[in-house]
Order: sequence, then structure tokens, then C-alpha cells
Amino acid sequence: MAKARRVLWRIWEMVREVFGDKAYDRYAEHIRTHGGEPLTREEFYVSQLQRKYTRPSRCC
Amino acid sequence: MRHWKKLVWMVVAVIGALGLAMIATVRGEPLNAVWLIAAAGCIYALGYRFYSRFIAYRVLELNNRRATPAERFDDGRDFVPTNKWVVFGHHFAAIAGPGPLVGPILAAQFGYLPGTLWIVIGGVLGGAVQDFTTLFCSIRRDGKSLGQMAKDEISSLGGYTALFGVLFIMIILIAVVALVVVNALKNSPWGLFTIAMTIPIAFLMGIYLRWLRPGKVLETSIIGFVLVLAAVVAGRYVAESWLAPYFTYGGPTLAWMIIAYGFAASVLPVWLLLAPRDYLSTFVKLGVVMALALGIILVRPTMLLPPLTRFVDGTGPIFAGKIFPFCFITIACGAISGFHSLIASGTTPKLIMQEGHARMVGYGSMLLESFVAIMAMVAATVLEPGVYFAVNSPAGIVGALPAQAVQTISSWGFPVTESAMAELAQKVGEVTLFNRTGGAPSLAVGMAHIFSKVLGGSGLMAIWYHFAIMFEALFILTLLDAGTRVGRFMLQDLLGHFWKPLGRTSWYPSVTLTSAVIVAAWGYFLYQGVVDPLGGINSLWPLFGISNQLLATIALCVGTTILIKMRKARYAWVTLTPLGWLLSVTMTASYQKVFHPHPRIGFLAHARALSDQLAAGAVPPGDIGQVQRLIFNDRLDAVVTGIFALLVALILVESARQWWMYALGQKQPVLQEGPMVVSKWATEGEEAGG
Repeated sequence: MAKARRVLWRIWEMVREVFGDKAYDRYAEHIRTHGGEPLTREEFYVSQLQRKYTRPSRCC
Repeated sequence: MRHWKKLVWMVVAVIGALGLAMIATVRGEPLNAVWLIAAAGCIYALGYRFYSRFIAYRVLELNNRRATPAERFDDGRDFVPTNKWVVFGHHFAAIAGPGPLVGPILAAQFGYLPGTLWIVIGGVLGGAVQDFTTLFCSIRRDGKSLGQMAKDEISSLGGYTALFGVLFIMIILIAVVALVVVNALKNSPWGLFTIAMTIPIAFLMGIYLRWLRPGKVLETSIIGFVLVLAAVVAGRYVAESWLAPYFTYGGPTLAWMIIAYGFAASVLPVWLLLAPRDYLSTFVKLGVVMALALGIILVRPTMLLPPLTRFVDGTGPIFAGKIFPFCFITIACGAISGFHSLIASGTTPKLIMQEGHARMVGYGSMLLESFVAIMAMVAATVLEPGVYFAVNSPAGIVGALPAQAVQTISSWGFPVTESAMAELAQKVGEVTLFNRTGGAPSLAVGMAHIFSKVLGGSGLMAIWYHFAIMFEALFILTLLDAGTRVGRFMLQDLLGHFWKPLGRTSWYPSVTLTSAVIVAAWGYFLYQGVVDPLGGINSLWPLFGISNQLLATIALCVGTTILIKMRKARYAWVTLTPLGWLLSVTMTASYQKVFHPHPRIGFLAHARALSDQLAAGAVPPGDIGQVQRLIFNDRLDAVVTGIFALLVALILVESARQWWMYALGQKQPVLQEGPMVVSKWATEGEEAGG
């Protein structure tokens, strides 16, 4: 039971990651370890979108 | 390999062979779709286990000790080492679009056999190989794009060819998928209402994501999805109410609406419309693909369409031309799609954590997409063949009146009645299902058929139908938004070389101008398709297929060149085989589309037939202007096809010249890989994996 819950939790975390929910946490972690002036959650979100949609991101 | 493992793979091979034998030989009695699914699934499993492994270990020599760009340039933003299943999800969501759903539906006019074989074989030996090698090449080159690699590895001419190829394909691609949406929404208040509602829903999601819960994509997508479902259900009441006339339009008006929408999406901030729509469509797409697979397995539908139809002779009503080359042009995505090479050399290589993951992400995702194409084929075959042809044939071929259409189609040996069509239309909540070209309506009927058997019975058929239409239109519009925007950026980049301010992506005059140019380009082809009496799909879809194969040619040329530079020329057949096949298909199709003497196939022959009519005075005075426009469009299509063929020839000659010089020893191959840095995740003695 506990194992099944852990597996389901892992899958859920992965789904969240595919959708990009954890992108900011990763970025914040990176800034924490590597240094630099961090963007806020909101600034980060908007600037990531600007970058993403300037190159082919969706296919036929 | 352990003995029991060998046994398992032998069983898989036997099931695959048995399935193939069944679908290839059974005649006279309808076959269950499960055979198709089983055969395809087994061949994918074998292809993945053995062929992709061979490519990974022997040909490309993936090396897990070598740090990937994601590790070396890790910046928490673009370059992020990511779990391989997550990259797989990302990559699949990016490559899977409307192509593999629509192509097989159209190609089903030959029967299910040719399309199915091409999807499975083309996927395993062509598409997946292209995606995998391109991804690998980009990983080894710091995540460079296909255009950049073509420039560095082949020549700057090769690079420019790639650049123009991408811009061209984008324009044709958007035009043709927009045409599919227009045809699906024609005179359908229910459908149009649902799709129209996705725009305010996207705004809401955009605002929510921007200010209320920044970056919480999953929960926003779920909220959006619930709202869209509500819109699908509400659509029925709108269609039955006094509001219906406000959502009922013909083709040309819908085309103008989509053109206006595309322009708006390109100039509005991306967080407001484009991004939330994209999230919504990804969410729905992944869900529907899984639901469809489950549905087919639960329902196990019988395939009513024969394996081969009489239209293998080239006289098909949906598009004209013989199996070779047109089956292989019509189904591009699902078998081999050049567009994928842009994704495989775009975001994905910057996320790959270890080289070994490229096998599952590159090769594996393409197999899954190929499987989606097989499911679309199944959805086409569960309809009565007469119904399938009545839905998909243009009025210009079978007649605009239902009585004419059923008579023509029945005379081909595919019996269908007016009452059966009327009953089906009523069941799915549409006014009519005749002449609904483009593939989307017939796919929606097929999907509704399968889904309603699992849940809701025929009472829910209409809801399922409109759910399917919404699903298709949703990600077609997403592709249209994203494509227009990328096209705009490419154009700004290009124009910036001539006059600096035009290259500034935040300068509004330039943004407006370049957006208008891109929208006008695809809008022109879209409008031309909408008013074309032969339905537009007949001329535009092959153009799309050819342009897509052009990109694949570039990707495979780059792949082959790099293989030779890696001193792996003895394995160059891995990329040369699909390349050779694509060249013969693309060149034959281009030649036939331009010069074929039959007016339904050759653009020039069609233009000639029309001008002969004009000269003979057979055209009513009121229609002269329209016929002249058709003649102009035919010639334009011929020129565009010619340009594609020329670009293919150019890139091939450029590459072959390099290969020849390497072979003769006139030039030393210089491998331009990024430096070898040992990965921090490397374990001792590890070479390849994944």
C-alpha cells in the first residue's frame, strides 16, 4: 500500500514536471547554488514564455 | 540475453508476424481492429528493442560518460538536466499534432493496408531514425538547431536552404490545418460556439497564471479543461436556440475569422492567449490519446473498410493520384515528419540528462506518434465505407446534392443512403455530414463511435462528436498561433539584416508588419482552399506533405554527413535508406503535381483545362473572374511545388558533394562536436545505456 502510494506520488510529480509546475523551483534552486540575481516567480514565468514561443515549439 | 527473455521476444515477433499476415491476407470478411493494433505494437516493440539499440550502440555510440549540454550549460532555464520520462513527455507533446490524425484518414481512401504498412514501417525505419539521429547530433553540438547544423556541417547554402524550407513549410502547414478547421466548423453552430469559447477560457487561464497563481500550469489546465467540457455541453443548447444564427457561417467567413484570430494571437502578449491555449491543448491531447487507445482495446471494433479499394488506381475522390507516391505524401506525420527535426534540435537536446536517454526520447516518442496514426486509421475504418466516402468527398467530385452524392458513391460499390447519412448527422448533432472534407469530421465520427460504445451509448454520440471536433480544432489553432508567431520572429530576424529596427521583436510597427505578412501568406492559401470547388485539400495537403518531406531530407542529409564525419560511413545506410525513399517519393510527387496530364493531379493540366473552358466560352460571364483566379492559383501552386523540389535537389547536391570529397580523400572530415567532458553522473566502465 505504502509502496503503491509512493509510486503514484512519483508519477504525479512527473506529470507536474512535464507541465512545467516545478520550473521555478528548479530555477530558484539553481540560483541558490550558483548565485545570481533571482527573478520573482511571476517574472520568471513570463520571461520563460517569451523564450519558448520564439522557436518552433509545436509540430504538425 | 537470458533464455526467457529470448522466448518473450520470439513470442512478440510471432504475434507481430501473425497480425501482419492477418491484415495483409484476410479478404472478404471484416477484420477486428485489434489485429492492427497488435501487429503495430509488436513491430514497434521489436524495432525499439533491436533496431534502436543497434543505432544507439553501434552507429551513434551513445556515451553516458560524456556530459550533455544540459549538464555542461545548466542554467536552470534553457539548459536543465531533466528526468528522462519528463523529457519524453515534453518531446512527445511537442511533436504530436493534428498531422498523424488527419493524414491516415485521408489515405484510407486506398483501403487501410497501404497506409498502415507505411505508418509502421516508415515509423520504425524512417521517422524514428530521423528524430533519434537529429537529437543525437544536436546533443553532441551544444544543442544547435537544424539550420545551424546544416550550415556548419554541409555548407552555408545548405543552411539557407534549411531556413527557407522552415519558413515555407510553416506557411503551407498553417494554411492546410486551418482549412481542416474551417471545413469542420462550416455551418456547425455547436462546433463554432465550443471553439469560440476556448478563446475567453484561454484569457481567463492566462490571467490566472500570470497574476493569481504564477506558473501553476497543471491546476490551471484542469480548470480550463472543465470549462471547455462545459462549453462542449452548452454548445448543444446554443445550436438549438435563437443564438444559432450567430454561430452559423460558411467557409469564406470562417476563413476570415481564423485569419483575424491568427493575427491577434501573433501580436497579443504570449501569456494572454497563446501559452494558456497551448497548455489546454497539451492537456487534452495527452488525455485523448490515452482514452482512444483504451477505447479501441475495450470496444475492439470491426474494420468495415476493405484493405484495398479500387482507388489504388489513382482516381480517388478525396485526393487524386496513385498509391505511389501519394500515399507516402499524404501520410507524413506518423511515418516520417521532417518538422520533428526542429523539435529534436530545439528544446529537447537542452533537457537531456544523459546521452543514453536520447534513444527513448528520440526513437521512442516517434513510435508513440506512429501509434497515434494507427489509431486514427482505425477510427477511419470503423465507419461504413459508403459513409466514409460521403463525408470526405468534395462536392466538386460527387455532387453537391445528397441524392447525387449517394448515387455516385454507391455506384463505386460503397452503398450508402440519404436516410442513413441524415440519421448519422442527427445523431452527432450536425445539419449535414455530406462533403465535410479535411478528415476532421470523419475522424470525429469514428472517435464518437468508439467512445460512445464505452460510455453513454448513442445518446452521448453528439457530445462525443463535438468533443472530438473541439479536441482537433484546439490543437490545430495552437499550432496556428505558435507557427504564426515563430514565422513572425524568423521574418523579423531576416528583415533585421536589411534594416535594424525591423529586427526588434518588441517594436510594435515591426511586430504588426511582420505578423501581417505571415498571416497574409498562409491566409492566401487558406482562402484559396476554401473557395476551391475540389475542396482545397486535394491541392494543399500534397503541398504540405512535400514540404514536410523536404525538411526530413535536410535532417537526413545532416545526419548522413555527420555519420560519415564520425567515420561511420559503413553504417550510413541507416539514414541513407529513408533518405533514398523520401527522395523518390518527394521528387515523383512534385513532378506529378506539376506536370501530370490529368487535371485532377497536375496543377498545370488543371490550369490548362480551365483556360480551354474560358477560351471556348463555356464559362458563364459571372464566373469568369473566379475561374481566372483558379488558374492563377494553380500556377502559383505549381511554382511553390517547383521551389520545394529545387530546395530538395539543392541540399542533396550540396551534401553529396561533401560525401564525394570525403570518399575521394580530397577533404578531411572534421568532426565539430562539443568537447568531451566527463559527466558527474557517469559510472565506471559505462559506455551506452537507456
